[in-house]
Amino acid sequence: MFWRLLWKLLRGSSGRLVVAILALVSGGTVISALLNLEFDIERKLTQEFRMLGANLVISPGHDAAQMPGDAPSALMNESDAFAAIQNLKDPAVVEAVPFLYIVERAEDTPVVVAGTKLEDLPKLEPAWRVEGQWTSARDDQTPCVVGRNVAQQLHLALNSPLHLSYLGKTAQLVLIGIVDAGGAEDNQVFLQLPEVQSFAGLSGQISLAQLSVRGTARSISDYAARLAAALPSYEVRPIRQVTEAEGDLLNRIRLLIVSMVLLILALTALCVLATMAALAMERRQDVGLMKALGGSIARIVALFMAEVGVLGAAGGFVGAILGVELSRWMGQRVFGTAISARWEIFPLTIALMVAVALAGALPLRLLGKVKPAVIFRGE
Amino acid sequence: MATLVQVEDLRKEFGNVRALAGVSFRVEAGEWIAIMGPSGSGKTTLINILGGLDTPTSGQAIVDTVDVGRLDESGLTRFRAQKIGFIFQQFHLVPYLTALENVMLAQYFHSTTDEKEAREALERVGLGDRIEHLPGKLSGGEQQRVAVARALINHPKLILADEPTGNLDEANEETVIQLFRDLHREGHTILMVTHASSIGSLADRRIEFAHGRLVQVPASLKSVT
Repeated sequence: MFWRLLWKLLRGSSGRLVVAILALVSGGTVISALLNLEFDIERKLTQEFRMLGANLVISPGHDAAQMPGDAPSALMNESDAFAAIQNLKDPAVVEAVPFLYIVERAEDTPVVVAGTKLEDLPKLEPAWRVEGQWTSARDDQTPCVVGRNVAQQLHLALNSPLHLSYLGKTAQLVLIGIVDAGGAEDNQVFLQLPEVQSFAGLSGQISLAQLSVRGTARSISDYAARLAAALPSYEVRPIRQVTEAEGDLLNRIRLLIVSMVLLILALTALCVLATMAALAMERRQDVGLMKALGGSIARIVALFMAEVGVLGAAGGFVGAILGVELSRWMGQRVFGTAISARWEIFPLTIALMVAVALAGALPLRLLGKVKPAVIFRGE
Repeated sequence: MATLVQVEDLRKEFGNVRALAGVSFRVEAGEWIAIMGPSGSGKTTLINILGGLDTPTSGQAIVDTVDVGRLDESGLTRFRAQKIGFIFQQFHLVPYLTALENVMLAQYFHSTTDEKEAREALERVGLGDRIEHLPGKLSGGEQQRVAVARALINHPKLILADEPTGNLDEANEETVIQLFRDLHREGHTILMVTHASSIGSLADRRIEFAHGRLVQVPASLKSVT
């Protein structure tokens, strides 16, 4: 009889309950979408953060952290640094690229020249935009890539020749790419590392190595510590601004999501509360009658709470299905990749919606105080 | 016959309004008592107290050895479920439950439901073909007969009827009154509030109220006014 009554209660007040179920489905949809996003946000964001470029630097020491001058005061051995990286075999390392900085003169203008692995730069710095290309297949010329500001200052276009001089030596280069990095790199000239090492007479030496490492600020710090242990004579440090910005952004997004979830829970509860308050007024007569027939408060209220619980569970279930789809759509729109559905979302959303529905059903609990004699007197 | 209802100096006040001003009487098991009097004279208040829907301000209302005034909320709930069958002027059926379910509702709150017994109760009041109808699809007389079936389903010690024919036309009134005659013949104890002298005259005895007091009691009844 309990389930029969429950079904009849649901059917009997279907018009009014539609409002409550719509609120619960809407709330459940947004909450499950946000929670699904939250569960996956770290993985997605750390992927996104790699767009920000290098987040770890290996350098000879504090002196080398400064921009190199005409004569680099501190250098490190390229093979030592990269052997250590290889030995750790951490799959979180997206890319590791060496840099050797010297200052040369281009058309009588001093410029910072960075010797590096041009072919690896796009993976290290995915956000840099290049007009032209990073590398050339031609071996009859020495290719170079210049920063946007250098190209403007020296009036260079693609395929322009570029003369560099360094301590009495000269080199004839061909411009194959102009990079827009949005930073100090726009003032630099990029060459293949062996060219610069040979030019400067610093074979096997580099100024620093930049790494792009996936993971949270903590995991990146952990990796940096392991690398530092493997390279005791070098300094290994996360680029603070990047890792802190990543961690800060992640925390802010998490806070935002949790705040949104709480806000939506509260709004859903208020909507259910308003509907249930109206329903409670409608049901005073029924409750008065049920009490007159010998219905205990616990039994009557349990019936109404079960009704609300069913509504919450149904709203949560439908909301979870819609929410997972919504999060997939949001994933495509925001991150460019689908966010996979997490099975935990379903019980969590259903539990939250049942809790919200029960919280919003406070007016129905007050029906326990209804006095049959008062109801029958028409008061 | 054993005394089923014993009322001693029963008083009920609603703020400054005195609904019952010291009422005493007894009802023997199997009696049909008509409670009469003008509106506001305390009839319904008496019925509500005897049925455990309200509590007295003072005095005693003993039904089947239970002093209703001493019961707490849960005690009153059990008392109503086990000893009382209510029939109201407004029928008070749950609109979204069928006739059968309205009867079973009383079973549900009493103990366990028995659909077969509920069907038989409806057949007994002549509604065998209206079992699955919602109250809105039943005439006033039919609704009151559902209410009678519901009142009887738990075999109550006392049937309390508050103007049971007040909302019925003559034909339906006759049908319902016939049901009460049958119930009385079967030995049920009935306290019925009514304005109609014709119905009051069918009862074994009449108790008349005015301003919360008994004004006329047959010689067989002990009264204190």
